[in-house]
Amino acid sequence: MTKRKMFIRMITASLTRRRSRMLVALLAIAVGATILSGLVTIYYDVPRQMGAQFRNYGANMIFTSAESDKDFSRDNIEEAAAVISSGDMVGMTPYRYETVRIHEQPIVAAGMDVEGAKITSPYWHVEGEWPSSPNEALVGEEVAALLGLSTGDTFNALYTPREDEETEEDVLNMGVDMTVSGILNTGGSEEEYVYMSMEDLESIVGGDPRFDLVELSVSASQEKLTSYVDTISGGDFGVSAKLVKRVTQSESTVLTKLQALVFLVTAVVLILTMICVATTMTAVVTERRKEIGLRKALGASDKSIIKEFMGEGLLLGGIGGIIGAVLGFLLAQFVSTRVFSSSIAFQPLILPATIIISILVTGISCFLPVRSAIEVDPALVLKGE
Amino acid sequence: MFFRMIKGAFTRQWKKMLMIALTIALGASLATAMLNVMMDVGDKVNQELKTYGANINVVPKTSSVVDNLYEVEEGEDANTAYLLESELGNIKTIFWAFNIVDFAPFISTSAELSSGEEVKINGTWFNHHMDLPTGESLDTGIQNLRTWWDVTDGSWLNEQQAGSENSVMVGSVLAERAGIKAGDTINVNAGGKDYSLTVAGIYSSGDDADEQIYGIMDMVQEMADKDGYLSNIEVSAITTPDNELVIKAAKDPGSLTISQYETWYCTAYVSSICYQIQEVITDSVASPVRQVADSEGAILEKTELLMLLITVLSLVGSALGITNLVTASVMERSNEIGLLKAVGARDSAISGLVLTEIVITGIFGAVIGYFAGFGFAQIIGHTVFGSAIEMKPFVIPIVAVLVVIVTLAGSIPAIRMLLRLRPAEVLHGR
Repeated sequence: MTKRKMFIRMITASLTRRRSRMLVALLAIAVGATILSGLVTIYYDVPRQMGAQFRNYGANMIFTSAESDKDFSRDNIEEAAAVISSGDMVGMTPYRYETVRIHEQPIVAAGMDVEGAKITSPYWHVEGEWPSSPNEALVGEEVAALLGLSTGDTFNALYTPREDEETEEDVLNMGVDMTVSGILNTGGSEEEYVYMSMEDLESIVGGDPRFDLVELSVSASQEKLTSYVDTISGGDFGVSAKLVKRVTQSESTVLTKLQALVFLVTAVVLILTMICVATTMTAVVTERRKEIGLRKALGASDKSIIKEFMGEGLLLGGIGGIIGAVLGFLLAQFVSTRVFSSSIAFQPLILPATIIISILVTGISCFLPVRSAIEVDPALVLKGE
Repeated sequence: MFFRMIKGAFTRQWKKMLMIALTIALGASLATAMLNVMMDVGDKVNQELKTYGANINVVPKTSSVVDNLYEVEEGEDANTAYLLESELGNIKTIFWAFNIVDFAPFISTSAELSSGEEVKINGTWFNHHMDLPTGESLDTGIQNLRTWWDVTDGSWLNEQQAGSENSVMVGSVLAERAGIKAGDTINVNAGGKDYSLTVAGIYSSGDDADEQIYGIMDMVQEMADKDGYLSNIEVSAITTPDNELVIKAAKDPGSLTISQYETWYCTAYVSSICYQIQEVITDSVASPVRQVADSEGAILEKTELLMLLITVLSLVGSALGITNLVTASVMERSNEIGLLKAVGARDSAISGLVLTEIVITGIFGAVIGYFAGFGFAQIIGHTVFGSAIEMKPFVIPIVAVLVVIVTLAGSIPAIRMLLRLRPAEVLHGR
């Protein structure tokens, strides 16, 4: 029988015959590795997942025309928006503001992309429905109170053109009848406006389509946002991009703290888990001092004993690491779906890292007790002292 | 004899016992730290979220819509209703006064620069010192409510400094256009009178405020000829995320039963704080700033849930680890148990002996662990949030129960297995 065959036989025999002990050790390693890979996966995904939650604050970037007297077209906007990678872009809503007369009161009407606004302004509370068909409008709560409008009512919106503007006579005199689809409550100045689709506003005001500003909700780090803004404003898009400082600044502050929190918690849990794995392995090996003594008495060299024990330990570490890495990912997936209701991004590096770390930890925690055991005189060990 | 054996175990096998105690201490410290951090994380993150500014806006009941929309047309007759400055202190007397972190009153008027340009000038508190009727005092104002302002030149206006009565802060866009720098003196005309103002600092805010001037309350009230009146108050309060009860209360507080009403009134929901502010400020409407209030709720909920799951996870992990170790260390003692059986000890006596040893070790470890966990929690609190984590006393019984369950769960199966062994075999060394 070759030396290698004997080595493999001894390792497998020790693993199969001392089944219950080895199971205990394997369980400890697997639990440790599960926590390691699970927590680290969560830690890496927290900024992305939390960042998505922060988009509840609404738009964090605004496009306006580069030159104040020049309008910008849909083409300008789309070219500029293409700078932002589609993975980071959460939503984009163009707005146009015009003063119209409703019940002979001057009111600011905003034309917008309704579907976009639902994403860029998730905090809007709409009593009733969002406008879905032509000639429907969302009326701010204060305007509604002022004009005595409630959901389902109709009103007539008239436009008075500026002096230098030419508009068809019929639009000027007749106005357009609109239905209130819902009342908007935000606690902010939005309550003082009437919102409708861009097409409806164009039918009231007449003339060519144009935009006043575009709200964008972009999920990216502060540095990335700044670089987007610089690229867009610096480029030849006819668009000037600005960050909504209040949102971006605060977001980066809070997000940094949250990530630091998860990092520290992960670190503390990991250190404790490692110690737990190490103590368990130490206990399992220390138990076998007698065996070590017997082998030494039979003439085994220190080197071969260490090699065998390490072989066992590393094998356990590897198996435990693989089980843990897979379980850990499932666990992180579970946490992510429960907390953020979205699946977690798979980090390919964590898998090998978990396996390597668990092999290292098991290896070190095997090596120390084995080394102290072989230093002892075999006669003393065998005698039981 | 029983006590002598126990004593013997601790004096002669102290190395083994120390190892078990250490493992249990590790687990207990983890549990203590995680539970405390988890229970405090809501408050801490809530504090951090205050950087988004006010989440409640208080305006007069009959505030006119036209005023805000047509800032340019704002004149003496446009705005008709005001709040009373003398009632401001009342905000800190409501039931949830402790949850109100900051607040600042505002009033605005328009003024003419020497260049003839018309600008909006706002009066507010910067770092106003206030003595409350309750005997406490606080410093509050927009320095805390506008954390995203970047003071690019000069510094924040210090209200408490003597001679700051005519100081102002100027928005960056306006400052650049009019060539104003920190330390300059600008002359403005408001309400038919001339004022010369010292510029304390230039700020960049990224919104409309960049085109405006902020000055001290009294001065702007005088410019607007509205002594003792305010146009609105911004309040930043720590709130609890909304639930079904709030939705019901929002529709009609009258529809709640008495006990539901009490629960609602005595919970720091944004709507109940608004309601209480309205009770103490005459003719006011306090409404949540949805952009801030809603998002805070969502983020808070997610963070708490995340921490809860991580805590449960690490507790389960450390419990398994400890169980494992205890099992391993009990099984190690097969020789000793075999010998005890051989000399005629009953199973119950052996179990009693081993369990007592383990439980004493466990208690010892748990006490050390609790204090170590206390340390861990404070490290996390100070590094992340810059403030101490509040230690909740009811964490102690939870940790105690966990330690007992874990040690028993770890030792009982191992003892039962060892009792099944035949003494002759064990002693023979198989």
